[in-house]
Amino acid sequence: MDDATLKGFIGTEITRQTVVVERSAVAFFADAVLDTDPIYRDATVAAAAGFDGLPVPPTFPFVMGNWGAFAELQPEGAPGPGLGIVLGALMAGGGLILHGEQAFTYHAPVVTGQVLNAVGVIKDIYVKESKGSTMTFVVAETTWSDATTGEAVCTTTFNIIHRI
Amino acid sequence: MPLNLTTATVAVGDQAPVLTHTLSRTDLVRYAGASGDYNPMHHDEPKAVAARQPSVFGHGMLSMGIVGTALTHYVGVGALQTFSVRFARQTWPGEELSTEITVTAIDGNVATLEVKLRNGDGEEKVVGQATALLGAA
Repeated sequence: MDDATLKGFIGTEITRQTVVVERSAVAFFADAVLDTDPIYRDATVAAAAGFDGLPVPPTFPFVMGNWGAFAELQPEGAPGPGLGIVLGALMAGGGLILHGEQAFTYHAPVVTGQVLNAVGVIKDIYVKESKGSTMTFVVAETTWSDATTGEAVCTTTFNIIHRI
Repeated sequence: MPLNLTTATVAVGDQAPVLTHTLSRTDLVRYAGASGDYNPMHHDEPKAVAARQPSVFGHGMLSMGIVGTALTHYVGVGALQTFSVRFARQTWPGEELSTEITVTAIDGNVATLEVKLRNGDGEEKVVGQATALLGAA
């Protein structure tokens, strides 16, 4: 793919989703990341710590779109083409996809029972040549905000690498 | 929100308690289910071997999640402002993984921490940085 076509994907909105933060999903996720803290499981403990619901482990925002994105909550129109719009084009010529980097910025607590809106955008695409391979970096940023107040709660930045 | 560290109690060079865990295939299956990431490279051994991998391997986000657990236990749930990592190497079942979290800077009521996950040979699996709010002295 030529550079101009690739750069043309920058700014593309790839997701628009509404998600309920569900309690059982949070507890199961805490198990999976080896966190036994009762704050993710016991509403009394979470309330005593000053949270409006049960809080979530710090990497839960990466997966929360896989849970609680119920059909009737979704905004009008398609949820967006997803990263496949650019990865599909890159993979058409073969290669391998790797998760290069991941970042979270926390603005306010994410808690169970909250309804969140996610908007994901392709922020950057750049290419590096390394050891005979072409590495294409795709940076996608998703902003999560409280559906009621509009307040931003978390920003997740996903950097994936296509190597060929 | 619990802020476990305060400006009076934390110093540059301080280290979080180490979380050590030997990775099993069951860990990978549990993370696949809890995250919704069913990439077969993380649970389907014949497919991983066919893809010229020695075995199934861990999700990068499981590595980051384990670091996140050690990190929140140290700084307090809700204290994190940022958390970012680079995925340096794959993790393999049977490896003993250990977190390494060090305070590298303090600016007002915010601490910067360097975070790592290593195997028993010291190989870096993830390397990154976090910032966390500190309580008043």
